[in-house]
Amino acid sequence: MIEAHDLTRKFGDFTAVAGVSFSLQEGEIVGILGPNGAGKTTTIRMLTGFLPPSSGRVTLGGRDLFSGTPDAVAVRRDLGYLPESVALYPEMRVEEYLSYRARLEGMDRTALRRRLGEALERCLLSDVRRQVIGTLSKGYRQRVGLAGAILHDPKVLVLDEPTVGLDPKQIVAIRELIRELGRKHTLLLSTHILPEVELLCGRVLILDRGRIVAEGSPDQLRERLQGQVAVAVEFESAGDGMAEALAQIDGVRGVRPDADRPDRPGRFVVEAAPGADPRAAIFRLAVERSWTLVELASARVSLEDVFVRLTTSDGRDAEQPDSEHELAGEAA
Amino acid sequence: MSGALAVFGRELRAYFFSPLAYVILTFFVLVQGWYFAMIVAFLADPRAAAGRPLELFFGQTIFTWLVLIFAGTFLTMRLISEELRSGTIETLLTSPISETQVVAGKYLASLTFYLFLWAPTLVYVAIVRWFTPVDWGPIAASYLGIGGIGALFLAVGVFASATSKNQMVAAVVTFFCLLVLFSCGLLENLVNGETAKKVLGQMNLWQHMDDFSKGIVDTRRLVYYASGVGFFLFLTSRALAAKKWR
Repeated sequence: MIEAHDLTRKFGDFTAVAGVSFSLQEGEIVGILGPNGAGKTTTIRMLTGFLPPSSGRVTLGGRDLFSGTPDAVAVRRDLGYLPESVALYPEMRVEEYLSYRARLEGMDRTALRRRLGEALERCLLSDVRRQVIGTLSKGYRQRVGLAGAILHDPKVLVLDEPTVGLDPKQIVAIRELIRELGRKHTLLLSTHILPEVELLCGRVLILDRGRIVAEGSPDQLRERLQGQVAVAVEFESAGDGMAEALAQIDGVRGVRPDADRPDRPGRFVVEAAPGADPRAAIFRLAVERSWTLVELASARVSLEDVFVRLTTSDGRDAEQPDSEHELAGEAA
Repeated sequence: MSGALAVFGRELRAYFFSPLAYVILTFFVLVQGWYFAMIVAFLADPRAAAGRPLELFFGQTIFTWLVLIFAGTFLTMRLISEELRSGTIETLLTSPISETQVVAGKYLASLTFYLFLWAPTLVYVAIVRWFTPVDWGPIAASYLGIGGIGALFLAVGVFASATSKNQMVAAVVTFFCLLVLFSCGLLENLVNGETAKKVLGQMNLWQHMDDFSKGIVDTRRLVYYASGVGFFLFLTSRALAAKKWR
């Protein structure tokens, strides 16, 4: 339905999103999960056609969102978007605002009349339809934004942090509504709250420092996390058969060159099976083959790292000193 | 097209719902009324040189210009910068509507409100007509000039509004651009170069308005305004597109 092809976005020297690719099938509810500053909003802004990527492409039903042709404008009709800021016009009335959004989408009067009532009802806004938006509570405004996003019955609905800043009661109501919407629309939502994706999404992309570090159903991800260990190994220089020899060691599940340090060909990331610690065996291997070992360290699996940051209240207070072994794990 | 109309409708309503518009409207009517009364009183004095009140009202004095420059600034400063500040630009630009449509809708709304501002001055025309026969040609030409120069000024303002999230910055930029646009023509008499003199002479808005008030319509001037409007609106839609790239 909607596809991101190798999206990269730079702001000056800072790379906010680096080579993100994924796609949503029709009817799927997918969550983008990541700590604050992981690049969620940047990714979403590119997906909705607001922010052009530095490189890469976004297609919706095969149509390019950044082709610069009139079709790139027209294709946005298939998209409903609730930005993180939920910016509305405070001086307008709810109904008035929604009619305006409908006209921007190019809906005619009859369609508007039909859809407006439905959107108001689904978002539980019927009792405030005549109210001025500026006087509404945050929870109501969030629902007005949602109503605006679903008004034209888009194929894909994109919600950026839809529950942020709401009180617990409102959060429950919005989640209920999102689940309801997921039955009719292909839905992508971003959040930094772990239980939220488990509750709502069939599939999760975990984003950290601008990369997708893991992808899968919430259950799969949980499984992958349990007791997983990775080891960073560096030999003075690259030699033949190093990766193969490492892979032979008991308890090793996978070996790959360290993608983050392409300047050091002798450097590998060794993934161990749950509970296994292959460090001693690696040392013995190095001695046996007379490979000069310059580094051997257990690296934190970045997924776990991300989860730790996600499961702590805000993600800010668990900021780690930047470990150089950031393992950008391949998707499961 | 329907998208541009939707933006136009919303902006026009926003004008009539905002206190700023009424403040502008009030001061506009007050200043113009006071100024018109002065002219009439002045011309009623037997010692005054003979003159036509409406000619004085539209041309030959600085008052028209103060009004034009302030109106151009205040009517446009909010237009786009407010959307940039509040973030509503995000839903607007992810709707199936092009930047050009957004700019066109907003600009036309400001132009409409601007023309609405001038509507009460028709009363002065009626008053003059009540007491004395009037020559309709110069009056029509004057309104044409007011419309044309106003359209140019508003386009400058809309562009400035797209360059900043801050309304005050937009207002200051507009104000200075309009001052430059207005006064560069006045430099005509301060340069010696043949070409410079000619170019600045063509851009002398003061002279333009003076001529309009006398009923002289030079189509080159209308082309100047129209191309200026086109140029600045094009820049605006580019600026809006460029906002996304940052």
